Amino acid sequence: MIDREPVVVTGIGLVTALGTGTGAWQNLLDGRCAIGPVRSFDTARHAAHVGAEIANFTPPADAAQFGRATGFALGAARHALADAGLARAEVDALRGGVTIGTTSGEPAFVERLEDSRAAGAASAEASADLAMHYPSHLLAARVARDAGFLGPAMTIPTACAAGNHAIAAAAGLLRSGRADVMLAGGADAFSRITFTGFARLGAIAPEYCQPFDRHRKGMVPGEGAAMLLLERAGHARRRGARIYAEVAGCGLSCDAYHMTGGDPSGDGAVRAMHGALADAGLSPGDVSYVSAHGTGTPVNDRLEAIALTRVFGSGGGGIPASSIKSMIGHAMGAASAIEAVACVLATVHDVVPPTIHYETPDPECSLDCVPNAAREYRVGIAMNNAYGFGGNNASVIFRKWEA
Amino acid sequence: MRRRVGITGAGLVSPVADSPAVLVEAMASGRSGTRLMPFDPARDLGGRNTRPLDRLSQLVAAATARALIDAACDADYRAAHGVGLALGTVFSSVGTICAFDRRAIEVGPQYVSPLDFANTVLNAAAGQAAIWHGLRGANATIAAGGASGLQAIAYAADLIASGAIDAMVAGGADERSPEALAAIADAGLGDASGGTPLGEAAAMVVLEAEETARARGAQIRAMILGQASGMAHIPGASVDASLTARVARAALDEAGVRDVDARITAGAVFAIVGDTLGATGALQIVAGLETLRAQAHVRTVLVETTTADGHGCAIVMGAPPGAS
Repeated sequence: MIDREPVVVTGIGLVTALGTGTGAWQNLLDGRCAIGPVRSFDTARHAAHVGAEIANFTPPADAAQFGRATGFALGAARHALADAGLARAEVDALRGGVTIGTTSGEPAFVERLEDSRAAGAASAEASADLAMHYPSHLLAARVARDAGFLGPAMTIPTACAAGNHAIAAAAGLLRSGRADVMLAGGADAFSRITFTGFARLGAIAPEYCQPFDRHRKGMVPGEGAAMLLLERAGHARRRGARIYAEVAGCGLSCDAYHMTGGDPSGDGAVRAMHGALADAGLSPGDVSYVSAHGTGTPVNDRLEAIALTRVFGSGGGGIPASSIKSMIGHAMGAASAIEAVACVLATVHDVVPPTIHYETPDPECSLDCVPNAAREYRVGIAMNNAYGFGGNNASVIFRKWEA
Repeated sequence: MRRRVGITGAGLVSPVADSPAVLVEAMASGRSGTRLMPFDPARDLGGRNTRPLDRLSQLVAAATARALIDAACDADYRAAHGVGLALGTVFSSVGTICAFDRRAIEVGPQYVSPLDFANTVLNAAAGQAAIWHGLRGANATIAAGGASGLQAIAYAADLIASGAIDAMVAGGADERSPEALAAIADAGLGDASGGTPLGEAAAMVVLEAEETARARGAQIRAMILGQASGMAHIPGASVDASLTARVARAALDEAGVRDVDARITAGAVFAIVGDTLGATGALQIVAGLETLRAQAHVRTVLVETTTADGHGCAIVMGAPPGAS
């Protein structure tokens, strides 16, 4: 399918532990690390103590009661719309839509309810908030309302592959003509529940995150949001929009193997990559950059290297494959949306962000992970890979825009 | 070239019906209930360890089992073809998520079960059902408020039409967890305010590309002719009638029909099983399928779910080609 009208990215919004917008991008290229001691709750009884939290985030004034992830999403969406220069009068509100991926939505409302129960009795106010603010569709609904969009709006909670799922769904809605513009991305908030679970899995690193390193010790939970404004190329041209990159293809699959562990053969990840390549009409040799899922756990990185080798050849075909989770931690459902923005900007600026804290090569992960320093070269095709609980695999390919 | 999409099977778990025919009979007779009869997972999931699945996951796995059997989509076919799954839900496994956090508070975070943590992600039921049935295609959980179940079916139909996948099980589910019941009452929603009581159900259908369904000899029960979804201007205490009309009109336009022979509204489901949240739209689709089967003069059905939370979705179904 290469004769169809391209779906393109015309606006991006980032809310990350390394800042927002172009500042965040520069920090990623500079290899800065946002990981530090957890501040939002006491980790004394946990087996792990570091996270990548966003400091000093101020949600939009009218959104404070909606929850932290919604605040991130609204912030990122407003950035993306402004970046795209999209005025409300330029788009038919009925044909503007929203898709947002998330792992946990707004788990703080569960935590408040359980805190009140532990303190004596479940608070009726906290319980009511569970109905008013917890259901995850509200992420998309509130972003749609804020943008003035009245077209299709849905949250796609598919764990840590959710950002890519949301971008794929938005591209599908644009291709089928159900919408003219889509805000697509992901959002998740740092959460006690998530941290507790990963700590009990023994998955959290003691100090920092070093994907693909021989001595890697785990992932680091993070948070944030990214939203991309997508539209068909003709729509973008007609309104004179700047085009960043094309969403060239998407591939989705499920391991159907284990809730939290990947298929040891890498089969699901391979099928998602092949699906995205076929959708884009590309061959593995066309890919110039892979944004790896790269969580930094011993098992996940090894399985990812197996999958990349199956698709691209020995050593992942020598294609640069870095993980920005080494810098901003794992922002859960937002992670692949943030990484999608990194892929887009890599194609725009011909530079890819590094994997930091890389010290010792691992023969089981013999990839070029762009160790410790950003690299400048021509980035024509960037593949964004994401894997999540439930066996979800999602690959999205971005193509440099050369009009 | 977009492909035509049909429905080849349906399965449901609900308080008043465990088959499409009984569901429509209950709708006609006004028989109602909001609480599942004691649900026996062994009936559909027997012979294997169901412990990793929480109750919502068991309901989804059971409804999926019934839909796959109805569609004669067996394990060999599923293993050879990447069949996907799309599940609409509002609350996911909120009771399980609360219980995980509660236990971490009570006994300490160092003692909670990693197995329980796997079920705290909002897509746990979809993931567990995929593992249970070997569904290796795209796996999506779709949250679109009261329209979640219908939106999940619309999402799956579009994915198949695009050529990305040949077959998906799609539908919706929500359960009457103590936490959801209390939350709705405390928020002054549901029957506390004279509205629809919270119900529970799971309903799934098997969607397939017409060409691949025919190639494997499957019987197509209905075609998806059109769909549309959108948001209300301002969500409120009541349904936005202009949204209902807008999505219905857009779905009819896509289907290329001016009117339909039958309409199945969310209210028809509410009347017999209460507000089953994510399951509502999927139950409507199941009722629409049965109506097409049982009533020869009904050739087209409009299913529309528009809820006070501001989400709306509509699907137009038609009798399969060649049926009379």
